[in-house]
Amino acid sequence: MPPTLPDFSNSVKLKYVKLGYQYLVNHILYLLLVPVMVGILIEVLRLGPDEILNLWRSLHFDLVQIICSSFVIIFVATVYFMSKPKTIYLVDYACYKPPVTCRVPFSTFMEHSRLILKDKPKSVDFQMRILERSGLGEETCLPPAIHYIPPKPTMEAARGEAELVIFSAMDSLLSKTGLKPKDIDILIVNCSLFSPTPSLSAMIINKYKLRSNIKSFNLSGMGCSAGLISIDLARDLLQVHPNSNAVVVSTEIITPNYYQGNERAMLLPNCLFRMGGAAILLSNRRSQRWRAKYRLVHVVRTHKGADDKAYGCVFEQEDKEGKVGINLSKDLMAIAGEALKSNITTIGPLVLPASEQLLFLLTLVGRKIFNPKWKPYIPDFKQAFEHFCIHAGGRAVIDELQKNLQLSAEHVEASRMALHRFGNTSSSSLWYELNYIEAKGRMKRGDRIWQIAFGSGFKCNSAVWKCNRTIKNAADGPWADCIDRYPVFIPDVVKL
Amino acid sequence: MDVLTLLYAILIFFPVFMLWRWVDGKREQECYILDYECYKPTDDRKLDTEFSGEVIRRNTNLGLNEYKFLLKAIVSSGIGEQTYAPRIMFSGREENPTHEDGLSEMEEFFQDSIAKLLARSGVSPQEIDVLVVNISLLSAVPSLASRIINHYKMREDIKVFNLTGMGCSAGLISVNIAQNIFKTYKNVYALVVTSESLSPNWYAGNDRSMILANCLFRSGGCAVLLTNQRALKHRCMFKLKCLVRTHHGAREESYDCCLQKEDDQGRLGFHLGKTLPKAATRAFVDNLREISPKILPVRELLRFMVLKFIRRWTQIGSKGEGSGSKTGINFKTGVDHFCIHTGGKAVIDGIGLNLDLSEYDLEPARMTLHRFGNTSACSLWYVLAYMEAKRRLKKGDRVLMITFGSGFKCNSCLWEVVRDLSDGNDAWNDCIGDYPPKSLANPFLEKYGWINNEDPSTFVVPR
Repeated sequence: MPPTLPDFSNSVKLKYVKLGYQYLVNHILYLLLVPVMVGILIEVLRLGPDEILNLWRSLHFDLVQIICSSFVIIFVATVYFMSKPKTIYLVDYACYKPPVTCRVPFSTFMEHSRLILKDKPKSVDFQMRILERSGLGEETCLPPAIHYIPPKPTMEAARGEAELVIFSAMDSLLSKTGLKPKDIDILIVNCSLFSPTPSLSAMIINKYKLRSNIKSFNLSGMGCSAGLISIDLARDLLQVHPNSNAVVVSTEIITPNYYQGNERAMLLPNCLFRMGGAAILLSNRRSQRWRAKYRLVHVVRTHKGADDKAYGCVFEQEDKEGKVGINLSKDLMAIAGEALKSNITTIGPLVLPASEQLLFLLTLVGRKIFNPKWKPYIPDFKQAFEHFCIHAGGRAVIDELQKNLQLSAEHVEASRMALHRFGNTSSSSLWYELNYIEAKGRMKRGDRIWQIAFGSGFKCNSAVWKCNRTIKNAADGPWADCIDRYPVFIPDVVKL
Repeated sequence: MDVLTLLYAILIFFPVFMLWRWVDGKREQECYILDYECYKPTDDRKLDTEFSGEVIRRNTNLGLNEYKFLLKAIVSSGIGEQTYAPRIMFSGREENPTHEDGLSEMEEFFQDSIAKLLARSGVSPQEIDVLVVNISLLSAVPSLASRIINHYKMREDIKVFNLTGMGCSAGLISVNIAQNIFKTYKNVYALVVTSESLSPNWYAGNDRSMILANCLFRSGGCAVLLTNQRALKHRCMFKLKCLVRTHHGAREESYDCCLQKEDDQGRLGFHLGKTLPKAATRAFVDNLREISPKILPVRELLRFMVLKFIRRWTQIGSKGEGSGSKTGINFKTGVDHFCIHTGGKAVIDGIGLNLDLSEYDLEPARMTLHRFGNTSACSLWYVLAYMEAKRRLKKGDRVLMITFGSGFKCNSCLWEVVRDLSDGNDAWNDCIGDYPPKSLANPFLEKYGWINNEDPSTFVVPR
């Protein structure tokens, strides 16, 4: 008999024990209510019908008491509703779909690389190795200015890319939601590496002729997690301004930031970052309650900038020849893991069911008091969320998070497929992933979604959404023409 | 008392208690300035006439026509001899800035002003809950806000925002963010850091609309500590009464008048168009229209409406000429001091004319322009510091801040002085006795006035 068989039956029993325990703890209030109800029922039955009638007649209600009671009830209800934080709805969102002419298949990328870096075959080799293991597909896109040999990153071209991406996403959003430009009260734009004057938010206001008393904000430099920072800002603003619409535009403009030197650590972003953008409509109007796709539940932000190593792991600097590029350090993964742990520590108590929290607390107490050798209990986040949107920063990030959070392949499928089809589109990648899940028809009413993003600084931000209505197969969106081909199997190394 | 009455008493008491708690919560939403610190760069960064001439001579792309234009611009700019320039100018490398230059310019400011501010107000960096940084022309990875967090070792759950590209009016936009967050969260400290990055943005070409930016902008910065804790009210300096933002980006002339773009030779520069004054006036009038009902007493508003009505009635009959540039409202009834963005002499004169202000009202702005130049978004705080140094601010006084920015935006806000401010201000204390100076004439004219008489065909650049 192979020795593993007894373990197998043991683990099955353990699974059922665990399930029973979870059910017990999570529904404890209901379970306690049952004996109470039974007790009341028995008491009532014992009394007999006559006594019940007498009891009823003895409660005489006069006018004053009725008015007082109703007044009190109305008052309490009003105060309760006024002091409740406003619900923030995500009405809809639109992701930018780049044109096929901007496609960069592996062969194009390597050819350009060989021509531009013709004196540095080692760097070309390095880029090839990165591309092979990157998890990107053949349909990712770069902006037109980068297709030149050598690339032509002028400010005109950068503005052109910004207009292309942002206006397409905005047009798509406006037509999907039927929103009139004059109804936009708040506009937040986040683009990390390109900040012209006037700002991108002013550019949008100019194009769509938005109102003059609009509250606009242009965030930049905040990395790939800036999308969730914008959502956080929109949430705070919507708490203060009733009956408002907020539009958040997340994008990354690649044109001015393509590294033109040959320092290896800085060539990495060239291989991974691709063109993309998303526009999101948030609202706190009650009328949007039925139309909205999602409801915002939590946003948790963690900033590890105080730690020098974390701060320096994604750094924009000049190389020896004076060319500017972004340097990614080797311990990026370790730092990401640390930042994630901090974020989980804050978000865990907010979203985990009571059963998981209790287990975590018990193992923590046990480790501290009884035996430090007990393995730390990693809470099972699959209990708290149905879908996970992990920022498609790169294959290593997704692998690391899958391992840390003990997720199955299906949970991270959205992230992997978004990385394959669109590349690392920085802050908008979360929205491509969400769109993937919708396009696959997996989004049901009541599903909870966890969006996690990492960014330079080092930040880890996460947002929790709850699905408001079952989303039928989306006919439009960036995945419309290719969703049936997915999921694809992505090998560890694609031989080039 | 029977049980039922007692029960009702409790039930009525509870919502009254909730209501009181809610009202009290609303009172905790006020935005106060606890303290602020204006950056004063070291003396070796002072830019005088002699050195300015040297810098202009260094630029090989300029010819006689450009010199004449520059002379006219600088002489009428209202900028004096003691303004500060970035270090890169003194090492002669302004046409080839590196990324490091931009960063080190900002770090010099961060490490100086923020430390002084926190030390003086007794707040430790770990107590800061919100950080808003607005530096328009530089965006780096990690953001400048992250640099501050790293240097001062701030907390993990800090709310940080890094605004860029929003021009000279971004200071009030940052205050707007803080103001909104104060309404949702209790007992928070917010740090707003405002500055402008000049090193990487020197224009090396000869397009006239773009050279102007080179002459006017100077180095400066300000860190402001805001809070909504009522317990600290007695220590605070100002309370925010209202803030109004106007954005005219929807109009083409307003959007295009202040633009960062490449010139014909492909050099990046900051284009200031000819439609700038008109766009500014339009945005300003719109902004005033919105803020006047919030800050002026009812009596003044009624008087203005009656006056306007009478004027229109008489104009219909007589087809008279247009009512000049004066708006007709007397802003001094609701505002005691005016903090005007020091965009240039024309801006200050324009606003003075529009609002019918006296020289006394415009003095802080003019003197700030003379002493510090146009420091972009943080100029307002230098003007405020001047008023403080001159001991003009008494309890109950109201200060109106007006700024303009690219896009085209006009933002304004009203602060109320919470306590008598008689300590003076570090940025001005050493020279406040010299202000206002007897003459604001620019020495450029006497030194370089001969250029106006030169003939383009015979002109040779003096070496």
